Amino acid sequence: MKKSRQNVISISASLLVTMLIVTALLVSIGKNPIAIYGTVLTEVFTSGYGIGQTLFKATPLIICGCGLAICFHASLFNIGAEGQLNAGSFVTAIAVIKLEALPAPLAIVVSIIAGFLVSGVFGLIPAYIKIKKDVSEVITTIMFNFIIIALINFFLVDLFAVKATMHTEKIPDGYMLFRFSDFIPFFQGSALNASFVIALMTAAVTYFFIYKTTYGYKLRAAGFNEVASKYIGIRVNKVILISFFIGAGITSLAGMNYIFGYKGFYEAGFSNNIGFTAIAVTLLAKNNPIGIIFSSILFAILDYGGLSVNQEVPKEIMLVVQGIIILAILSTDKIVSAYFARAARDRFV
Amino acid sequence: MEVATSILSFAFLAQVLRLTTPFYLGASAATYSERGGVINISIEGFMNLSAFSFAAFTIGTGSLVAGLILSIIVNLIFSFLFSLFTVKLKIDQIVTGVGFNLLIAGITKFLLVLIFKSSSNTDRIEGLPEMTLFKSIPFLDTIFSDYISIFCFALIFISSFIFFKTKFGLRLRSVGENPWAADSLGVEVRKYKMYGVMISGFLSALAGIWLASNQNSYSEGMIAGRGYIALAAMIIGKWNPVNVFFACLLFSAFEALEIALQISGTNVPSQLIQMLPYVITILVLIGFIGKTRPPAADGKAF
Repeated sequence: MKKSRQNVISISASLLVTMLIVTALLVSIGKNPIAIYGTVLTEVFTSGYGIGQTLFKATPLIICGCGLAICFHASLFNIGAEGQLNAGSFVTAIAVIKLEALPAPLAIVVSIIAGFLVSGVFGLIPAYIKIKKDVSEVITTIMFNFIIIALINFFLVDLFAVKATMHTEKIPDGYMLFRFSDFIPFFQGSALNASFVIALMTAAVTYFFIYKTTYGYKLRAAGFNEVASKYIGIRVNKVILISFFIGAGITSLAGMNYIFGYKGFYEAGFSNNIGFTAIAVTLLAKNNPIGIIFSSILFAILDYGGLSVNQEVPKEIMLVVQGIIILAILSTDKIVSAYFARAARDRFV
Repeated sequence: MEVATSILSFAFLAQVLRLTTPFYLGASAATYSERGGVINISIEGFMNLSAFSFAAFTIGTGSLVAGLILSIIVNLIFSFLFSLFTVKLKIDQIVTGVGFNLLIAGITKFLLVLIFKSSSNTDRIEGLPEMTLFKSIPFLDTIFSDYISIFCFALIFISSFIFFKTKFGLRLRSVGENPWAADSLGVEVRKYKMYGVMISGFLSALAGIWLASNQNSYSEGMIAGRGYIALAAMIIGKWNPVNVFFACLLFSAFEALEIALQISGTNVPSQLIQMLPYVITILVLIGFIGKTRPPAADGKAF
C-alpha cells in the first residue's frame, strides 16, 4: 500500500516538474504556454477525431510496452524492441500476402504467429548470449537493432517492395481490421481501429501473466533476487530465455495497428522509434501493464498534441517533453523513495 | 577487381585512418566513463548534441572558435547532468542513458526546426581549418588533415599514460574496479566517477564536432550509430586505449569499404555492408577474442 502511495507521489511530482520546465522553455522562446496547452487540450479532447487519433497513436505503444514490461521484470534491459517489432511486423506483412491461398482468418493468424516467432527469436538470441557468454544484453540488443533494420531494407529493396517505394504490397481489403468510425460516427475520420481493443487485451493478459501466474511469480522473483531465486529452485536462466522470447514476440503485435488497421502494408520507418518511446512509457508505468495503458495515452496525447500546435511551435517540442518526463520520473522516484526511507527510519529512532 | 585495387592502396589506408577519428574519440569517451565504473550509452546522444550545437553556435556567432568552445561547454553541462543522475542520485545507468538519448534527440530535432526551419539540416558552415603542416606529403595530408584528428591520434598515448602512469588514472581505475576499497583508502569515489563522465562528455563533443565540421553542416541522423559502434569498439578493445584504437580501425575500415564500393558502383548491396560492423561486433563478443572483462564495478552504484 505504501509503495503505491510512493508511486503516485513520484509520478505526479515528475509530471509537475516536466510542466514547469516546459512552461519555462515555452516562455523563453517567446510563446504563450497557456495558449499552447489550451490548443493541445481542445484539439485532443473536444472532438471524436482528436480522441480517436490519440488512442490510435497509443495502440502500438501499449502493445510494445507490455512486451518490454515482461523483459524488464526479469531485470534485463531490452533496448532492441525497435528492431524486434520491425522484424515481426515485416514478416507478418509478407506472410499475409504469400498465404493468400488460405482462408482469410487462417492466413491472418498464421502470419501473426510467424511475426511473433521471428521477433521472439530476435529477443531470444541476446538473452542466450547473455546467459552463455555473459555479454551484456544492452550491447547485443542495440547491435541487433541496426542489423535487423539493415536486413529489412535489403529484403525490401531487392525482393518485396512495390517498385519505387519502400513498402510491401497492400494486403487484400477483406483482411483489414474494422475501424471504430465504421460503427461509431463520433470517431469520424480517425484511424482508430480494432488493434486498440487488441492492445487493451494484451495489457490485461500481460498483467494477469506477470502478477497472477506461477510463471509470472518466478519471473519477478528472478528479476528481484537472482541468487535467492536459484536457492528456492527457480531455473533463472530458463525464466530469462522464455521472458525475452515472449516479451520480444509481443512487440511484433505493435505493427498490427499500422498493417491491419491503417495502411495495409509494411513500410520502412513506419515504427518511428516506437520501440524506444515504449521504453519510456514502460518505465513511467513502473512495468505495470495497466499503468502502461495510461502512460501510453499520455505520450499519445503529447504526440497528437504536437501536431495540433505545429503552427505555433515545432511539433518536435513534444519529443523534448517526452525526454524530460522520463528523466523527471527517474529522479523524483529516487528522491521520493529516499525521503520515505528516511521517514521510516526516523520513526524507529 | 577495381575495388580490390582501390582497397589495396595507400589512399584507402589513409582514408581508413582518417575515418577512425570519430570512432576513436567516441570509444575513448566511453572508456573514460567506464573505467570510472559508469556505463555511458549516451555517447551517441552526446555526439549528436555537440554536432548540432557546434553547427548552430558557429552559424549564430559567426566564429568557429566560439562554436567549438560553446558546443564543448554544452556537452560538459549535459555530462555533468548525466553524472548527477548516475553518480549522485544513483539512478540506473542504462535507463539514464536511454533517457538522455531520447531527450537529446528531441532537443536537436526541435531546435533544428525552430532555428533553421528545416527538419533535415542546418545551413552550411566552414568547417575546422585544415592543417597546413603536412599539406605537401601525400599520405599524411589525408590522415592529419585537422587538429582534432591529430589530437585523436595523440590520445592513444595520452590515454595510456593517464590510465596507467598517473595518480589520477590509478584512482579512476580503482573507483571502477572496487569503489569500496578505494573509498576506504580515502579516494573521493563520487568525484572521480564524475570526472570520468565529464571527460566522456568532452571527448564525445570532439567526435561530434569533427563529424559536423567534415560534413560542413549538421544533418538529422548524421551520427548514424557511430556512438554505439564506439561502445562496441571499447568492449572489443577491452577498455585499453591501444587495443580500442585497433578495434576502431576495424570499424572505420568497413566504412571506407562501403564508400569505396559505392563509388565503384559494384552491385554488392550497401545494406549488407552497413550491417557487417554490427554482426562482427556480436561475433567478436560471443567469443572470437576471448573473454572481455569490464571494470569489476562497472554499472554499479556507489
